[in-house]
Amino acid sequence: MQVSVLPVFLLMAFVAGLAVVLILVGYVFNPGRPTPVKRMPYESGMDPLHDTRRRFDVRYYLVAIAFLVFDVEILFLYPWAVVFRSGPAWVFGGGMVFLALLALGFIYDWKKGIFHWR
Amino acid sequence: MSAPVVVLAPEIILVVVAATIYVAGAFARSRDVWVWLALGGFLSAAVAMVMLSVGAVGGPISVDGMAIYVRWLALGLGALLLLTSSRPSGQGSTPEYVGSLLLTVAGVMLAAASRELVLLFMGLELVSIPTYILLYLGRRDAASQEAATKYFFLSILASAMLLYGFSFLYGATGSTHLAVIGQRLASPEAGSLWLARAAMVLVLAGLGFKIAAVPFHFYAPDVYQGTTHANAALLSVVPKLAGFVALVRVVDVALEGARDDAWPIVLILAVATMTVGNAMALWQQNLRRLLAYSSIAHAGYMLIALAVSMATGFGTTTAWEGMAALWLYLLVYAVATVGTFAALSCLGRGAESVQSVEELTGLPWTGGRVRPVLAWTIGLFMFSLAGIPPLAGFWGKLAVFASALSVEGPVEGIRGWFIVLAVVGVLNAAVAAAYYLRIIGVMFFRRPLGVPRVREGTGGALAVAIFSAVLAVAIGLGPGIWFRDARRAAIIEAEAPRPLPMAAGGVQTADAGLRPGGEVGQGVGFGSGL
Repeated sequence: MQVSVLPVFLLMAFVAGLAVVLILVGYVFNPGRPTPVKRMPYESGMDPLHDTRRRFDVRYYLVAIAFLVFDVEILFLYPWAVVFRSGPAWVFGGGMVFLALLALGFIYDWKKGIFHWR
Repeated sequence: MSAPVVVLAPEIILVVVAATIYVAGAFARSRDVWVWLALGGFLSAAVAMVMLSVGAVGGPISVDGMAIYVRWLALGLGALLLLTSSRPSGQGSTPEYVGSLLLTVAGVMLAAASRELVLLFMGLELVSIPTYILLYLGRRDAASQEAATKYFFLSILASAMLLYGFSFLYGATGSTHLAVIGQRLASPEAGSLWLARAAMVLVLAGLGFKIAAVPFHFYAPDVYQGTTHANAALLSVVPKLAGFVALVRVVDVALEGARDDAWPIVLILAVATMTVGNAMALWQQNLRRLLAYSSIAHAGYMLIALAVSMATGFGTTTAWEGMAALWLYLLVYAVATVGTFAALSCLGRGAESVQSVEELTGLPWTGGRVRPVLAWTIGLFMFSLAGIPPLAGFWGKLAVFASALSVEGPVEGIRGWFIVLAVVGVLNAAVAAAYYLRIIGVMFFRRPLGVPRVREGTGGALAVAIFSAVLAVAIGLGPGIWFRDARRAAIIEAEAPRPLPMAAGGVQTADAGLRPGGEVGQGVGFGSGL
């Protein structure tokens, strides 16, 4: 069976073409009178404090990973919550196994002390 | 038909033991107990394999000849790798190391048994992700961290390409079941195969990284050099095993219709991989770098067998079959490579390990009880890797080259190509002998420069080296049963589960497994409908 994918490629071509056209229009037709205020990243926002490239504490990444685990967990739990009543018993059991594995990961994280912000 | 829970019992046992080790390791401070627990896990998984040798036909999981062979090979190699690395140098991270090793083995076994794109990808990721952790835990210095980072980013890129290829397959056929994909691509209403061809190229690229085939090999020398001997042993066999089993499942079986396009690509990859690997290995001074190029070159020989099986089809009854040659070669290569790294990991002090070939100078004559044993086993493995007759490596090379010479495909002129391929392979084997024999020459025919230290408490690695040496000799002297097993591994289940009705909208709904009654009896939710 061949699913038609032509619209997808048309959309991709349109998006790429539009991006090029917009940049070109701005580049060709702009009057080109820069001032220091205009060159700031946010013209009407806060004054930037420093460069955006700086080092992060590695603990941010640990928190990000722990967040991601539970984020994905919720992603899986929504469809599961919809169907587990109508399905056979192993649908419920499978979800419980999934939750148990996540709980193990949580215990591991906790014991390893990633929730301590020293 | 058995439920997947029963069929996958060995994998489930391994994962449960790994999870137990991770969590319990966070509480208890013991060290050796984790290694013993993991060995117990391997043993229970093996028992489960023996007791549950029934095949499940038709679902997303299939226990055909190839799956059984690869699962046994993965279990055995896992136990050897565990003993090799029984003293990981990272302080206090033994549970993590051992648990990750168990998970990689479970991943290979899952990938070997899956006939479904999603499950296959999951198996491959279950190999990759713990490997990142293993590389990171191996050693805590700058070179090791660089190696882990390089492997991480390149592996993620390869996984992305593989997934992109899988998405093309799904788009072209509306199914993730490999047999259904093959069936639909072969049916007359499939139309042009260009989506399948794009998928094939992407899958070859993604899996080419795992087996270290040549345009995707650049990580291997740097990563091997940066990490420990035990990790290098793991990297040189486990991803190759997973990569080749996935290549066979996807490119050989599911993309059967595009086979006439596939074998020339694999043939070119094989020539490039062998030649570049061997040519670069000639110039290496660092041992792990040399063995990395050697493992690239061996991937090239295995690609010859893969190209043969693509050109002729698998499961044929000819004497020299491509698929059987591939699995035999992988076995003899793995035995010699793991043995070499295990022997090398016995030398060194603290976090330092043997780096250059020169450090092995005159090793058998440096006295002591362990050093001569190590030297003789390394010498044996080098002979086996070079393919010198009474050893295992010879039979692997013989099977591969003979299979290439026995190709008589339906396509005109195909025979000539494979004769050229076999000749290039034999020439490469001759070149490769140069650097293997150089190591032997340095060890046996020169005066010792210094006395390398034998690491304390490496009984496990020493046992692995001796066991592998015995195995290499045993396969070499009695290759019959190993040929027979490899031929059984060439039995691949390729039929679709059952005639599936074509859904009107093109893509079938996934609710087939959730319907109460009939369908559920299989216990397979995903994959039976998709």
